[in-house]
Amino acid sequence: METKDSHHLLKIRKRPWLIWFLRLVWLAWVIFWAEVAWGSWKELEPRASLIALVIFVVSLVVGILLWARGYRMFRKS
Amino acid sequence: MNRRNFFKLSAGGMGAVVGGTLVSDLDQSAAVSKVVGCGHPWWVKTIDKPKLAIDDSVYRRFESEKNVFGSFVEYYGMENVRALRQRSQKKRQQYFKEKRPGYRLEDRALADAGWVISRLGGLNRGTRSWTSKFVTPPEKRGVERYQARPDEAARMIKAAARYFGAAKTGITILDRRHINAVERGKKIAFEAVNEPYSNDEKLVIPDKCRYAIAMAVQMSLDNIQCSPTAISSAGSSMGYSRCEFLVAGLAEFIRGLGYVAIPSVNDLGSSVAIAYDAGLGEIGRTNRLITPEYGPTVRLCKVITDLPLTADKPVDFGLLEFCRVCKRCAEACPSGALSFDDEPSFEVKGEWNNPGHQAWFEDSPRCLAYWQESTSGCSICIAVCPWAKKDKTLIHEIVKASSAKIPVLDALFTRMDAAFGYGRQKSANKWWRLDLPEYGIDTTQGRG
Repeated sequence: METKDSHHLLKIRKRPWLIWFLRLVWLAWVIFWAEVAWGSWKELEPRASLIALVIFVVSLVVGILLWARGYRMFRKS
Repeated sequence: MNRRNFFKLSAGGMGAVVGGTLVSDLDQSAAVSKVVGCGHPWWVKTIDKPKLAIDDSVYRRFESEKNVFGSFVEYYGMENVRALRQRSQKKRQQYFKEKRPGYRLEDRALADAGWVISRLGGLNRGTRSWTSKFVTPPEKRGVERYQARPDEAARMIKAAARYFGAAKTGITILDRRHINAVERGKKIAFEAVNEPYSNDEKLVIPDKCRYAIAMAVQMSLDNIQCSPTAISSAGSSMGYSRCEFLVAGLAEFIRGLGYVAIPSVNDLGSSVAIAYDAGLGEIGRTNRLITPEYGPTVRLCKVITDLPLTADKPVDFGLLEFCRVCKRCAEACPSGALSFDDEPSFEVKGEWNNPGHQAWFEDSPRCLAYWQESTSGCSICIAVCPWAKKDKTLIHEIVKASSAKIPVLDALFTRMDAAFGYGRQKSANKWWRLDLPEYGIDTTQGRG
């Protein structure tokens, strides 16, 4: 994000629609497992909650790493 | 924010886009659904013909003395029963001495106390009396009895039932074959009379009582998951007491409208068969009703009446297909009372089963014997059922809907349910430290 005198400028890199779709799927996936982890905790189902939490964390980390890798490759190019 | 609020917010967002009309429609339909208390989720479909067949040439009214409670000694053998009771008594004392969680004095006192309201009624007795001494009939108020279209009356009855504690209510035209032929030594007869009556030989239901209102009352899953301990028995006993209050209240309400009302819990006839016809759920491998919303974590009760009501239809949410592959209840049953057969059949296991209908029939004496062995009853088959969930996360709704619509996934769901640790016995010790809602149940569950 660049800051001009009177306003901020947000730049969004152009990407194929498939990438945006996959990002959306990933986001939905991560939110879903977070909800399952939280809901299972409220249901007093510790094992279900733990499994959901692990899936959530792994999905989140893998997604972020993939994004960072792509960003680094973009910067290099 | 809970799931309902989330959806409301989503609906609100949509409404802003389309101009607000939709929101008002959604609110109205939600309000109707809330009042009526009978709507099932979208993935439950109504059917005209029950999936489990009835052989009309065989199916008859049952003599309730043949049920396992009435004839346990006959089925299990006097010597076996005596030995069983002695073992049970010894175990009780041993558990008291050990202060074993779930079997201590406070646990047993809680389970017994849960029965307190239930004990006020029995077949045509107390809170389950077929007539009332307290109600003010319309003629005493100087008005005519209640008149409305059957669909309006049905909606009103469901609202009243909900108010008295019904989680779900369904209505069916009474199939008299579901009513016991004999109970407590008296015949149960249908006669062309205006009011129900009884004498030394029989209990008489007026012919005009053509409608049965079936109701499901939630039991606390937190209790049931502690099975087989006295904490889980408290879940059952509270369920029965709440049924007692519900049928007594609803019967008085109907009498107050000027109609006959015959309240019943486990007495009088098969609540499972009536609830199945009324569309409260399907009959599963346990040969008990399983509802789409609460699974088997319900107690059933009913009111027979002459108030004209629109009947509901049986439902199909893929339970039969699910039970075919699941078998978790049969595997978990410590007494081996439940069937492992792939298909439901007409073959009964013994005289305690009423023949002439398709089911996974159970070995009831084995089941009841284990109640004694455990010293505090058993609800393991309810606790392990994958349909028994608190529904605090979206995944349950997704799995239930997928199971209803794509039965090929049932085996996967069964394995996932076990892998995620559902159905494991919970600590009766920890139960006392839970911050439970009133009656131990979430009354917003199953409300969409």
